[in-house]
Amino acid sequence: MASINKRLLKELADARREPSAELVALGPASDADLLRWRAVLRGPRDTPYAGGLFELRIDVPKQYPIQPPALSFVTPVCHPNVHFETGEICLDILKTQWSPAWTLASTCLAVHVLLADPEPSSPLNCDAANLLRCGDALGYRSLVSLYTRMHASGGG
Amino acid sequence: MAETMEVDTPQGTPQDKPQDKPKAAAKGKRTRMEIKKWTSVALWAWDMDTDVCAICRNNNMELCLECQAEQGTKDTADCTLAWGSCNHAFHFHCISRWLKSRNSCPLDNSEWVWQNYGRR
Repeated sequence: MASINKRLLKELADARREPSAELVALGPASDADLLRWRAVLRGPRDTPYAGGLFELRIDVPKQYPIQPPALSFVTPVCHPNVHFETGEICLDILKTQWSPAWTLASTCLAVHVLLADPEPSSPLNCDAANLLRCGDALGYRSLVSLYTRMHASGGG
Repeated sequence: MAETMEVDTPQGTPQDKPQDKPKAAAKGKRTRMEIKKWTSVALWAWDMDTDVCAICRNNNMELCLECQAEQGTKDTADCTLAWGSCNHAFHFHCISRWLKSRNSCPLDNSEWVWQNYGRR
């Protein structure tokens, strides 16, 4: 337990020392619990998510980094690989392809890349995936930007 | 007051010149110094690419995070370094724990094959 806290504090120090443009915020949700983090992603440029801010909830298992952290969207996201209601994310590195060399920050960046690069063949949101699968990129983009403006515009 | 200060000057003659400052007394009779002990310090590092264990993020030259936390309460002599055939190095403890989940190198995802492990 003590050692996982030490690794997480190290990650926190790294995240504060090297903030990234994609990650608006990354840190423990409260001082009381180091195993529960919160991140805010900036919608990738040149995608229908641009202009949006997306909050992620990160639950760190006690066996981290041998076991992957559990990430889910708090902000509703319209994306083929994100469950619209639960915020669950389908991403191989969060499951079978996890490696302990990943950090919480790099994992968040992988989710950021997923936003820009959806994988419609393993969907959690069939409506969004079907638009892409039948080649309706225009329909996909307008649906996503509608939800981005509705839920992720940060009130501004 | 001058007298209490002169107590510190060794083998001085405070009675002769009570106004003399201790500095002047020291100038007359130089304090001799003798080296009793000389300790030299050397630094060394592993000659390789990775210097931080990608699993626990502790330096490879230090103990792994777990052993560091329990230092003093358990024997840490077996906390050695391990190399895979891909030439990536991790703490033996760290890579052993990871290999129970998946038999791959955490850094390049290739199948893990033990190359070497040794003492630090």
